[in-house]
Amino acid sequence: MMDSNGAADDTAEFNLRLYVAGQTPKSLAAIANLQKICEENLAGRYKIEVIDLVVSPQLAAGDQIVAIPTLVRRLPPPLKRMIGDLSNSEKVIVGLDLRPIGKSRT
Amino acid sequence: MTERAANDTEYESLTGEELISRLREAEETLEAIRTGAVDAVVIAGSQGQQVYTLENADRPYRVLVEQMQEGAITLSERGTILYCNERFATLVASPHDSIIGQPLTRYVSVDEGRVLSNMIATGAGPGVSGEFGIVNCLGHEVPVNISLIDLKVDEAMPRLVCGIVTDLTSSRMRTRELSAANERLANEIVERRKTEENLQLTLDAAEMGIWELDLSDNRMRCSLRHDRIFGNATSPVPFDLAALADRFVPEDQHKVREAFETARASGAVEFEHRIRRASDNAVRWVNVKGRTFYDGKRPVRITGVTADITQRREVDEQLRQAQKMEAVGQLTGGIAHDFNNLLMIIGGSLDMLGRRMSGDERVVRLFEAARQAVARGSKLNQQLLAFSRRQNLQIEVVQINDLIPTFEHLLDRAVGETVKTKFVSGTDLWECRTDPHQLETAIVNLAINARDAMPQGGELVIKTANRRVDEAFASRWEASAGEYAMISVGDTGVGMSAEVLAHVFEPFFTTKDVGKGTGLGLSQVYGFAKQSGGFVAVTSAPGRGTVIEVFLRRSTDSVPIVRKPAEATLETGTGVVLVVEDDADVRATTSGMLQDLGYSVLSAATGSAALEIIQANAGLDLVFSDVVMPDGMSGVELARRIGLVRPALPVLLTSGYTAQRAIPELPTGERALLKKPFSHSDLSIAIRKIMASVSAT
Repeated sequence: MMDSNGAADDTAEFNLRLYVAGQTPKSLAAIANLQKICEENLAGRYKIEVIDLVVSPQLAAGDQIVAIPTLVRRLPPPLKRMIGDLSNSEKVIVGLDLRPIGKSRT
Repeated sequence: MTERAANDTEYESLTGEELISRLREAEETLEAIRTGAVDAVVIAGSQGQQVYTLENADRPYRVLVEQMQEGAITLSERGTILYCNERFATLVASPHDSIIGQPLTRYVSVDEGRVLSNMIATGAGPGVSGEFGIVNCLGHEVPVNISLIDLKVDEAMPRLVCGIVTDLTSSRMRTRELSAANERLANEIVERRKTEENLQLTLDAAEMGIWELDLSDNRMRCSLRHDRIFGNATSPVPFDLAALADRFVPEDQHKVREAFETARASGAVEFEHRIRRASDNAVRWVNVKGRTFYDGKRPVRITGVTADITQRREVDEQLRQAQKMEAVGQLTGGIAHDFNNLLMIIGGSLDMLGRRMSGDERVVRLFEAARQAVARGSKLNQQLLAFSRRQNLQIEVVQINDLIPTFEHLLDRAVGETVKTKFVSGTDLWECRTDPHQLETAIVNLAINARDAMPQGGELVIKTANRRVDEAFASRWEASAGEYAMISVGDTGVGMSAEVLAHVFEPFFTTKDVGKGTGLGLSQVYGFAKQSGGFVAVTSAPGRGTVIEVFLRRSTDSVPIVRKPAEATLETGTGVVLVVEDDADVRATTSGMLQDLGYSVLSAATGSAALEIIQANAGLDLVFSDVVMPDGMSGVELARRIGLVRPALPVLLTSGYTAQRAIPELPTGERALLKKPFSHSDLSIAIRKIMASVSAT
């Protein structure tokens, strides 16, 4: 699954995918928050892919997205996800970087 | 469903740990939904995945629609308003609630409503729009643009139409403002054109030509009037500074070039110079006035006007001439007056000496020379007085043609044999008022001038004619328009240049050699004609002879006054005469003359002294008084006072000055005035005449 979605996997250490629904307030907030956190903590080491499910709802299936906005850490493994507008940056840093919540699947 | 089934099978192969992880994820998702950390969910429906945003998730859109400055509406298929935003409510001036459920056509006029209904019914499809007038609840009409588009949300939903209602008031206002501004501009253009036309008219009326000199190439652009002043052909000719300067008379050309050169720095140009007019080669005076325009400090062009001022220069010249003649006249008159008194003394003394003279031939010759000199001096003085218009004219109504035989007689002797004299009498010549003696003198003076102008001989033509003189001609000779009897003296002689012509009437101006002329001839003619209410005109050019015309005002008096012939004897008499004269020498001379004639003489220096003597001497027979006396009481005033105290006492006045007005009259009606200088004989006759008339009454 990861491979099937893993378009343009390049040299970036962190490959993040953010699912949003058009311009809902949380979607807009999540995009802004994520960019800020990455720039502050992962400068030069990340890649963000924003997927608007209003435009292409079928893409929700791939990462089993139920609620929006959802952030998925595709690289490095294991795959991790975080739901919400990412306004708590501490929680985001912890969730994405330091402590893997579960074992990734291939 | 298939996916769900797949998931189910997936779970079976998962380890417990993995299941726990999955469960935690699911709980996190639920928690996020519960706490509102998400505002959209993905739902797998019959048509695949769909995104539903939560209640306030579309707020940005709603706020956008609610707050935008266009009216927004959603209509049912039949045109019922299902939704409207605040702006639309404001447009129709109704509360939001009362609008929902109303047909949109309610807010437009009936006619427009039909069009609008049609627009909604036939389907907005990809979008239609039209302009309407919304009549709001306050009764105001608001111009709007309504654009409609079918609202496709869902196949299952009924057909909806949404619309944007744009208020056109301000855009209409802008359009109106724009057209008003346009109109203002158009008016200004018309106004400016009018001003320009007026300026053109003014310049035309002032007969001014406009020109513009481009300093980059010295080319000139000129108006039609400008071309006309320079006598160019009707079509505008190309002109430049050099061509302009060449039009001026040679001696002015460098001044013109200099003036334009100076104007580059000084900022202005103004001069009056003469041009040679191309059309008729006439010399004309022009006034050129202009201003320099600069680009920064660099002069770029000079613009100005040009006017033909020839006429003004001529008038100025005439005025100057008139003023000069007047001044010279006054001076001459004053001198002549004083000389009169001197001649009186010399003449009177000579007369008395003559009667006491021995027979020595040499003494007699010297004495005669002196007497002739006095006579000549007296004659000169007469001419001076004539010029200054201060002689006593014996004005009569005269038919000049009747005088021609006299002239013939006089001129035969005056002009000599080399000059042929011809008389051309005009028929039915008008009578005029003049002094025939002075006219004779004038004609003789003119004839002598004519003779002198023709040293090789020639023809002298004396002509008379009636002339109606217009204002233009009259003003050239400081005269007024009217009817005149004219007598002219023309010759075929050398003629006069313009410079000489300008001075001909001035006393003592002569072109004759020293001793050959007094320079008073034409002055006498001039003064005499003026004093008679006429004028003199001169036409002359070098080599073309001279014609001098004497204009004498036509008289409407029917009866000519008959002249008395002059007498020339010494008449003695008896009686007591009071001589009143301020000049002691004249007084003594006059007294001596009267005593010689046999009269007893008393004398007084002033009018008041005279009055005292008159009071004291009842035996007085005559008062002989000068008119002009310095102490305040004139001879005329003295005569008036004598009239009050001794009405029977005759008064004889004497004056060499001015044509006196209030001269007492003798019982015969003649004016009791003896002209100075008088001879012994003149005095004797005048006194005798008065004595006779007094004793006769």
